[in-house]
Amino acid sequence: MDTSPILAVREVVKDFGGVRAVDHCSFDVMPGSITGLIGPNGAGKTTMFNLVSGAISPTSGRILFQDRRIDGMGMHQTFGLGLMRTFQIPREMKRMTVLENLMLVPAPQLGERLWASWFMPWMVSRQERRVEAKALEVLELVSLSHLANEYAGNLSGGQKKLLELGRTLMADPKLVLLDEPGAGVNRTLLRDLSANILRASAERDITFVIIEHDMRFVMAMCDPVIVMANGAVIAQGPPDQVQQNPEVLEAYLRGPGSSTWQRAGTDAEDPALDGRRT
Amino acid sequence: MDLAGIADYLVAFAIMGGIYGVFTLGLNVHWGFTGLFNIGIAGFFALGAYTSALLTTSPPDPALFEDFKFGGNWASIGFLDWGLDVWFVLGLASAALCCGVIALVIGYITLRLRDDYLAISTLGIAETVRFFFLNEKWLANGSKGLYRIPKFLGDWIAPENYGYLYVVVVFAVLAIIYLALQRAVNSPWGRVLRAIREDEVTAQASGKDVFRFKLQAFILGAMIMGIGGALYAHHVRFLSPLTFDPMLATFIIWAMLMVGGSANNKGAVLGALVVWGIWVATQSLPGILSDPSFRLFMVGVLIVAVILLRPGGILGEERRVTRLADSDAARPNNPGG
Repeated sequence: MDTSPILAVREVVKDFGGVRAVDHCSFDVMPGSITGLIGPNGAGKTTMFNLVSGAISPTSGRILFQDRRIDGMGMHQTFGLGLMRTFQIPREMKRMTVLENLMLVPAPQLGERLWASWFMPWMVSRQERRVEAKALEVLELVSLSHLANEYAGNLSGGQKKLLELGRTLMADPKLVLLDEPGAGVNRTLLRDLSANILRASAERDITFVIIEHDMRFVMAMCDPVIVMANGAVIAQGPPDQVQQNPEVLEAYLRGPGSSTWQRAGTDAEDPALDGRRT
Repeated sequence: MDLAGIADYLVAFAIMGGIYGVFTLGLNVHWGFTGLFNIGIAGFFALGAYTSALLTTSPPDPALFEDFKFGGNWASIGFLDWGLDVWFVLGLASAALCCGVIALVIGYITLRLRDDYLAISTLGIAETVRFFFLNEKWLANGSKGLYRIPKFLGDWIAPENYGYLYVVVVFAVLAIIYLALQRAVNSPWGRVLRAIREDEVTAQASGKDVFRFKLQAFILGAMIMGIGGALYAHHVRFLSPLTFDPMLATFIIWAMLMVGGSANNKGAVLGALVVWGIWVATQSLPGILSDPSFRLFMVGVLIVAVILLRPGGILGEERRVTRLADSDAARPNNPGG
């Protein structure tokens, strides 16, 4: 297909002091795809997410979202354009309920203006009911309904991951960056999670970029796969092709992530991931 | 003590308790809901008090010692003479406005930075305000202070009974602020503030312009503190820069919020009354027990006790605060709330 990419990263460099975390990275993400971003630890994947979402600005290079430059924007601005992200280590609002964690997300909300909450409470209230209904729906999707009024800080690690995913379903993003959505999530929940991602991708036309160390998950879900090592993109393409790439194998064998890669080669068929894409 | 004496005593206690309630509500917006570490409450306290006092007090005249009607430095503006003391309302509004503008300036500079910068700059502002009024003698009579600050509706009631009127005024203002804040923190606006308190980065990743909300909260809280300062000025009717020492103008307000319950407006007011009650009651203890430093020590003990026994304060934060949409499906059970 010759559509233009939804996200284009061009020659992006990011230095932290003397360390070059991202080194002249370029890649495209096509609309509607579920793109995997893999690589050994310290390859610069999460830094790349931080750059794209606007948490940090690149030292040099350009990032385009729907042909619009977004490098240098803040996270709330990229959110406004339809770009959402989750965090590798879940960052929930601990002393707020699970329901409120989700109700926070939709934007713009009338009641976020002080004067509206004082002088038009009935309108704010009406909108709140809609937001709440949507939040309950999303909780159903990520199977956290029974915990709606629990403090988010009391959830287990895996449940927090689901809450992170739920957050992205509350808005209507065009592009979602998921940072290790499967880490610490058990098999059964992981199956739900994959199904949710696939459904969101198919029904709501959301493009995903997923960082994940679980190779079975990546191989089943993602196409194409982009491989980073030492801050640079070393390979990209369909998963089976990337898997054969000697450069990729070498990066993994040298790095600490080698064991996960080999496991992916041995038992590629996992019943938990039967919902794989065709 | 006779009955009338006790009543007078209670009224005097309630007036100060109510004024402290206003400050505690202001701090609750900063710290309780938004997590802004303001340790310079005294700055906004002084600024509010002086603003209202300077606008309402007639220039000093050595021949006069009687209670003044509201005149104001600009008393010649005839159209304001409506027979009521509009100057009081104007004084309160200007105090809020002045604190709001100063908060806007400080906040604009420091709120983008890490939390500790706000703490140190609020502390700095508090001292700056104090030294400003101390040194600019032409403005506020320096260390000799401003006196004969007028009463609100002073003509309506005999001076010895005036407290009964002023206590109503203070609690009416407190109630208005309380209701306005309740509505604000129950709304999505308040939800964003609490999200910022919990995790600024997530709030930003959820599309909220964190800086803007922090600035709004900082200004609102400072305006409330300014109103508290103005109420204080018209109660004590004498202001000197020495009034605003960090102990009684910042520290004790923090103690009130922590004891009463951070992020709970009812708790904030309750904490103000409880801590002020303890402070006043220990005044008449015998010997060393009534020594200010010992009483201060007792407030410290109270804080430690509350933190150990009820970490959230007497009335902690309710589990679900935004409840404009309460439906049966989502109604939480608030244990102890």
